[in-house]
Order: sequence, then structure tokens, then C-alpha cells
Amino acid sequence: MNDFLNGLVSDLKPVRPRRPYFEAMMLAGLCFAELTLWLALGQARPHLMQVAQTTPAFWWRLASFGLVAGLGAATAISSFDPTVSPRRGLMWIVAAFALYLIGGLFLHGPSGRIGVIQRLDWSDGVDCLIKVALLSAPVTAALGVFMRAGAPTHRAGTALASGIAAAAWAAFVFTFACPHDDPLYVTVWYTLACALSAAAARIVLPIVARW
Amino acid sequence: MAESDWRGLMIAAQEGNGGAYRRLLEEVGAWLRRYYRRRLPPSMIDDAAQDALLAIHQKRHTYDPARPFEPWLAAVARYKWIDRLRALKRTPSEVLSINIAVDDHETAVVSATVLDALLGGLKPAQSEVIRLVKIQGYSIEEAAEHTGQSISLVKVNIHRGLARLAMGARNAGHDE
Repeated sequence: MNDFLNGLVSDLKPVRPRRPYFEAMMLAGLCFAELTLWLALGQARPHLMQVAQTTPAFWWRLASFGLVAGLGAATAISSFDPTVSPRRGLMWIVAAFALYLIGGLFLHGPSGRIGVIQRLDWSDGVDCLIKVALLSAPVTAALGVFMRAGAPTHRAGTALASGIAAAAWAAFVFTFACPHDDPLYVTVWYTLACALSAAAARIVLPIVARW
Repeated sequence: MAESDWRGLMIAAQEGNGGAYRRLLEEVGAWLRRYYRRRLPPSMIDDAAQDALLAIHQKRHTYDPARPFEPWLAAVARYKWIDRLRALKRTPSEVLSINIAVDDHETAVVSATVLDALLGGLKPAQSEVIRLVKIQGYSIEEAAEHTGQSISLVKVNIHRGLARLAMGARNAGHDE
């Protein structure tokens, strides 16, 4: 035991205590850079300004995914501290997600009699899944790095919160490009895309951030 | 150790103070062993305590100096405890057979019975000192103190008692 303690003491170097606000700022910078790059690459849908002025579903998506992303990131970053559990944050995320679904009920779908299969538009839906997964990767990676540097004691919950934050942010960014405003399409494909990205993070991050 | 002292030592350790860090690790190490003694099998206590100390070393930057140290330490200790329990669950344990063989105690039981019978044939003062000195391993002085006999009387009683025992054993052998 003495040798072991000697080893730890001889390895001691000054450390700077972890700064959650710094991590939050880094993450916000990354998100801003990703959104800017996405728009700079010409991914924005045609007539974006007009859509923003006339389409409530556009704001419904932005508000919902922005809220879920913010709650997810706050939950994840706070739970990198060993004394903080992500449970309460996850409950808030569930509430925000319920709000998103309820909000969708109040929005109108496309006028006229259109079949569900047609409204779901499989080819665009799969494109949505792929793009949301790709867009969520940078934020997932950044949160994974912070998680590894931190000391989360509820790794599964923290990984899930990180995955939800990354996926919701990806959905937020993808909203600027997505030509669909049908609440059914958004509810099915965006939710599925977020669920897949969050599930991937839930599986991978606890392994990466084991300590 | 007051919790505020540990907090001060940890803050000093974060600044690179080796003396404070060593003291903290020693005291926290003792606390961790007590913590795991109530939660893990004895064979795992030292390993778990070392594992937790290593985690404290590697994650010391996650301690916020503005907050109390004890909850941080307890969270790390609990996390490592749960890790140990998971490892324990993964490790297959050997199922004991209901027909497990044990050594035969017959010889020991017979010897004890015979010795008891032989000692029962001696005078109480003799059998008592022989039990104390020759079977239980007391010294002559301790036996004298215990029985209230003088040291020389203890020696005499042992000598005479053993002689009678030997004679009794020989007679028993002839009878058989």
C-alpha cells in the first residue's frame, strides 16, 4: 500500500479544476460553427425566409429541438461531475419531448386527401435519418471527449443525455434544409432519426468514458 | 478528521502539494477501507480501496474547490463499489457439491474420549493442571495462578498425574 501511495504522490502534478461553463461555451461554439458551415454549404431549403414567416411547423421544430438539445447538453455537462445524477435532467427532456409531440397535434398537415405512405415520403425520410446521424456526430464526439475527461458516475444516463443533445441539435440544423413541414413526417422521421443517434451514443459513450 | 480539512488538503493537492496529497490519500484510504468493509467480501477490500484511490488521483480535477469534499469522495467510492459488484456478478462462482468430502474426525474423537476417561481417574488437582499445562498450553506459573496451587505443587501434580495416566493406559491396553 505504501509503494502504491508513493507512486500516486510522485505522479502528482498541479491540475486546473474542471470548468463546466468552459465546456458549455466550447460546445456552443462547435454548434454555431456547424450551423454556419451547413448554411454556407448551401444546404438551406429554397425560400427559407418566406418559410420562416409563414410556416408555424418550422418554428415548432426549431423550438422543440432547440429546447431538447439545450436540456440534453445541460444535463450531460452537469452530470460529468461525479456528484450529479442525470435523472432529473432526463425527466425534463421527456417533458420537453412530450411538449414537442403535443405541439405537433395542433399543426395542420397538407390539405387534401393524401395517403399516409405518401405523406411519410420514404426516400426523403431515409435521407433525413442519414443526415441527422451525420450532423449529430461532431456534438456526440465533443460530448464524448468531455465525458471522458469528467467523472460521470451514471454513465448510461449521461451517455443518453449526450446522445439526445447531439441528435436534437442535428435535427435543429437539419430543419433549415428539410423541405417537409408535415407534422406527421416530422414526428415520424425526426423522432426516429433522433432515437437512432441517441441510441448509438448510449451504446458507445459509456465504453469510451469508462473510468 | 474534519471534512473541511480533507477539502483543504484536496485543494492543496490540486495545486501540486505532495505532502498534503500524501496525508489526504492515507486518511482517505483508511476511510475507503472502512467503507468497503461494510459492502464487499474481505478479499476485495484492499483492491477496491486501491482502485478508488487511483480514481481519485486520475479524476482529482473534477473536484470543485467551492464545494464540500465528502460528497465527491462518497460518489467516487460508490461508483467504484458498483463497479466491483458488477465484476463480482460477471465472475462465475463455483457451485459447491452437496457430496463434498471432509476429513474423518474419528481418531481425534476417540483420542479425546479416551483421554477424558483417563483424566477422570486422576485426582481433580492433578487432572486440572495437566489439562491447563499439557493440553491448553498454559505455563506452570499461569496454571499455578489459575488453580491457586503453588508452582512446586503444580509440577508435582503434573509429574504424578502423568505417571498415573501412563499406568492407567498400560492397564487399559492389557485389559483389551
